[in-house]
Amino acid sequence: MNTSSTRLVALFALLAIAVVLPFAFDPRGYAIRILCLALLFAAMAQAWNIVAGLANQVSLGHAAFFGIGAYTSTLLLIHFGLSPWLGMIAGAVLGGLAALLISLPTMRLRGHYFALATLAFGEVMRVIANSWGGLTGGPVGISVPFAPPDLAMLQFKETRPYYWLMLAALVLVTTIFLAIKRSRLGYRLRAIKENADAAEVIGVDTTRTKIVAAVISGMITACLGTLYAQFQFFFDPDTVFGVASVSVRMAMIAIVGGIGTAAGPILGAFFVIPLEEFANQIFSAQAAGLSQLVFGLLLIAVILIEPRGFMAIGPRLKRLLAREKADG
Amino acid sequence: MAEPVLDITDISKRFGGLQALSKVSLSIASGEIVGLIGPNGAGKTTLFSTLVGLHRPDSGAVRLDGRHLVGLKPHRIAAAGMVKTFQNVALFLDSSVLDNVLTGGLMRHPVEGARDLARRCLERVGISAIAGKLARDLSFPERARVEVARALCTEPRVLLLDEAMAALNHVEMDEFMALLRQLRAEGLTLIVVEHHMRAIMSLCERLVVLNFGQVIATGTPAEISRDPAVVQAYLGRSAA
Ligand SMILES: Nc1ncnc2c1ncn2[C@@H]1O[C@H](COP(=O)(O)OP(=O)(O)OP(=O)(O)O)[C@@H](O)[C@H]1O
Ligand SMILES: [Mg+2]
Repeated sequence: MNTSSTRLVALFALLAIAVVLPFAFDPRGYAIRILCLALLFAAMAQAWNIVAGLANQVSLGHAAFFGIGAYTSTLLLIHFGLSPWLGMIAGAVLGGLAALLISLPTMRLRGHYFALATLAFGEVMRVIANSWGGLTGGPVGISVPFAPPDLAMLQFKETRPYYWLMLAALVLVTTIFLAIKRSRLGYRLRAIKENADAAEVIGVDTTRTKIVAAVISGMITACLGTLYAQFQFFFDPDTVFGVASVSVRMAMIAIVGGIGTAAGPILGAFFVIPLEEFANQIFSAQAAGLSQLVFGLLLIAVILIEPRGFMAIGPRLKRLLAREKADG
Repeated sequence: MAEPVLDITDISKRFGGLQALSKVSLSIASGEIVGLIGPNGAGKTTLFSTLVGLHRPDSGAVRLDGRHLVGLKPHRIAAAGMVKTFQNVALFLDSSVLDNVLTGGLMRHPVEGARDLARRCLERVGISAIAGKLARDLSFPERARVEVARALCTEPRVLLLDEAMAALNHVEMDEFMALLRQLRAEGLTLIVVEHHMRAIMSLCERLVVLNFGQVIATGTPAEISRDPAVVQAYLGRSAA
């Protein structure tokens, strides 16, 4: 068997395990909810990866799209009884428009400047959501109205269906990421990342390419915002538009796992999200904030040890082993 | 002389206090190989960068097949059919050689078509053997050739080569010149910046000499090597 079919078999085995995994957990328990969040954040980090990983445009404002998705579907459900599936589409359109809007002025920015500009954009959205109480309910937050549990209304009594939904979302977003990576768009994004001037000179419309990628990423992130709303039933501007709770976390997960790779965001999410919960449980009794500190220190450690994330550890070990062999 | 494919009129470009190009005019016929020479800092690279849209000239016009190019973005100029290679080599370092070249083909082809074309370009430039290597693992002469293959993969009408032969040995240089003559025979128009006088004299029927941003002479290699202004420009610099 060649390596690519071995890989395929391994992938399907992994997916099969992921599908039956919830049966190993208490369906009403806490652990399965953490798994759901890990899957959702893996999908979010994967969406972020499209722009940041392929074109190296590191956004710290993706909460803007996430919050737009959460609020759009929820408000449409509250006021018009619209199914969250349709709300998700509306949210994706608005998320895409927001991505277009922020892309235009930040287009020429690179590195820290791009990161800061997008960060500011996310914060502006949070402030608007907090102060426009008439629309969003303001800082008190907003509740998703209960509907009879049903896939059509994206509501379930138990946690397991959410788990499968999040898993499907992750598989879908990862497939999109891989398809983009291998497409013209992917090659163009990589060319921009590695040498933007050279890319232009050989015919890459760098502006258009970046905008297209940003819009796709923004739309997907908005869709995931709807899933989050339906899963949590309650949220406020500081959670869905938060820098730490969403924007930085998405970036962190992809970076810790391995930016630009398809497996990176998945590994990252299954490391970061449970770790964060664990830290919360252990330290929350002592002092609020201590858990965040420990969490932050751990992340710094990971990034110092291997800045290209978990995905770079395999090749590194291989090199080390090869050297051992050569020496010994 | 045949119809000019590229028409440059009175191009000027200033960088702060430095007049890098002043009123450069040049008309290039279709299928010509023109050599662009001049001492270091004469403005050769700046002229190429301006032609492909990386710099916007302060004044002047550039026409390719009669179409005005000034103000267009580089990718539009590439689409119109003019590309350059980078003197300091600007490859996509973390991509393979094949992917580097393939990216040039995406403007006119889907990925698969671009990959086939890229393989042909690698073969023409004689670097098929390194198709799978990462650009960052290449030697400088190899990188320069990948630059040429990538530019060819955009299927240009006019190709601007900025010291693409630097660091080639004699055998490689002869092969490379044979390739350029072959490309010219297929209808490509070339402007070649080179410091190797032997190469440029045998390759080009016409030379243009730039000094301090100005065209100081144009003519056949024989005429240029006798031109007192040219001799002065080169000697003046090396004596200084
Ligand atoms: N982006 C820039 N900003 C400011 N000055 C520049 C810039 N690019 C080039 N110059 C200056 O313009 C002048 C012309 O430079 P250019 O690179 O075009 O020369 P060249 O003829 O290609 O020289 P060489 O043979 O060394 O490659 C030089 O004095 C250079 O320092
Ligand atoms: Mg130069």
